[in-house]
Amino acid sequence: MDNKNSCRASLLLARFRGWVQAGAALLTNLHLPNFFRGRLYQGAGKAVCVPGLNCYSCPAASGACPIGAFQAVVGSSKFRFSYYITGTLILLGVLLGRFICGFLCPFGWFQELLHKLPTKKLSTRRLRPLTYLKYAVLLVMVVLLPALAVNEVGMGDPFFCKYLCPQGVLEGAIPLSLTNAGIRAALGTLFTRKLGILLAVAVLSVVFYRPFCKWLCPLGAFYALLNRVSLFQMQVDPNKCISCGKCAKACQMDVDITKTPNHTECIRCGMCVRACPTHAVAFRYGFGNGRQNTTETTMED
Amino acid sequence: MNMKKFAALLLGALMVLTLAACGAASSSAAGAASGAAVTDEPQTTEEAAALYAKLMDQENALFSENTDLWEKVYLQANKGMAMVEDGKNYGDFLLDTIETAKSEFSAEELEVLTKAAGEIRDIENQLTALEEKFPDCQQAYMNGGASVSPEEGSLQKFPAFEGKDLDGNTVNSDDLFSANAVTVVNFWFTACKPCVGELGDLDALNRELAEKGGALIGINTTTLNGDEASIAEAKEVLAKKGASYQNVYFDASGAAGTFIQNIFAYPTTYVVDRNGNIVGDPIMGAITEKNQAEALQKLIDQALAADAG
Repeated sequence: MDNKNSCRASLLLARFRGWVQAGAALLTNLHLPNFFRGRLYQGAGKAVCVPGLNCYSCPAASGACPIGAFQAVVGSSKFRFSYYITGTLILLGVLLGRFICGFLCPFGWFQELLHKLPTKKLSTRRLRPLTYLKYAVLLVMVVLLPALAVNEVGMGDPFFCKYLCPQGVLEGAIPLSLTNAGIRAALGTLFTRKLGILLAVAVLSVVFYRPFCKWLCPLGAFYALLNRVSLFQMQVDPNKCISCGKCAKACQMDVDITKTPNHTECIRCGMCVRACPTHAVAFRYGFGNGRQNTTETTMED
Repeated sequence: MNMKKFAALLLGALMVLTLAACGAASSSAAGAASGAAVTDEPQTTEEAAALYAKLMDQENALFSENTDLWEKVYLQANKGMAMVEDGKNYGDFLLDTIETAKSEFSAEELEVLTKAAGEIRDIENQLTALEEKFPDCQQAYMNGGASVSPEEGSLQKFPAFEGKDLDGNTVNSDDLFSANAVTVVNFWFTACKPCVGELGDLDALNRELAEKGGALIGINTTTLNGDEASIAEAKEVLAKKGASYQNVYFDASGAAGTFIQNIFAYPTTYVVDRNGNIVGDPIMGAITEKNQAEALQKLIDQALAADAG
């Protein structure tokens, strides 16, 4: 009864994911005319964090990037930690987990669109160890360096934004410098280097699926840690599962959903939901453990 | 599966096209607005900005027709024979200046100047009306047209302000600018690392300027409206960095406050001449970068040369 409904809802959600991504990208960047004016929206909305990785300095941005905002606060001389942003991130992580990566993040969508270019695709399965890199990025570039590497006045740099983030170049530096001569004059080696990073990520995105999300994104890393306790979960019905392995093969994030439905790398994109011939895989929202059913079967086995 | 790929590609293409179409539509709308500018009432800030631009062009054309004569007029104005009063029509100011200095010109020159100044007065009236109706149009015009004629000097005024420095002394923008051959105005805020990073360099620049009859002032945007805690913090940072030049604040609601709302890159540094006009384009980003420092020095030299000549 309920099961059938959730099955259908899951399939629908998975099928229309592209549209949700487009809508989310638009909502996080509502102030489109600013692209032509070469200026930023600076209203009250900027006091709120958007869920995905979306640069504050995008002319159209409706809110602040949580990762950028966090670094700005811990890097300031007044504060060592941001409870507001950490709280927001934990809340988002518990409510949605990496569903945000799969459905709401504009930079994830950007990489996916590039991946749709018809070329030879490569698997990232063997590059699994690289997925741990993003936790180091989160810890070192977002938390430690901005808070500890400070000048004489006690101010740190937003290391991730300043030295790594390709989204900042794509959404901030490029559109702003195109329309604003003053910004253009200020571009230097830092911009060139980061443009290189953006181009590298873009090229890699064509052959690999979401390389930045898998290996580098500190926001993805944070949500990954909360994926296990998130209310948004994957559920595999052991009675329907025929162990054909199609879900694991369909998964571009290299997760076997039947073994680890709460895997840190699962971005809830629903490719497994669509691949399952028996509709055994579904999204599930609420308290409780999605794995309960599976454990029962393993015990039976 | 293929269908999905196709749909996604289509969607991507559509998004790009929509953006492109958006750009084309808005720019052509702006074009149309400037074409019919003088007769049609503008409806949006963009149209107002286009009309603003057109009027500014007309005014600049009037100035560039007789550059030499106007230079002479400015010279008289510099001698303080007539001062620009806050809010006074610039055309009227020119007329007054011409009137007080009429012995300097031939009858023919006077006629040309008076006629042009009269036209400028009318244009200024239209501009003021436009600014009242669309407070953002001047800024929109600046953003759109700043790169068009930075050299020609479209005589864009630095917004007037009346405030205090961080020690509580009253500061008036007119007095400040007219007392200095060149005034460098640096916008910063306390939590901005690159801003704080250049405070030392700015202090050195201020000392250098003092020898040439110029000055540098800082405007810390968090101290606007005289917020006590922010002022204390700003003073602490300034002291730590050994910066002793004047930092001022004023009401955020005034013209200069509105001006600040349109600054989104920090630090931003303006160069202002003795008449309160902005020289060239503002420097965005810290002057600790060599090319930025050079760009700033060029503007300062330009202002000093104009003041001397």
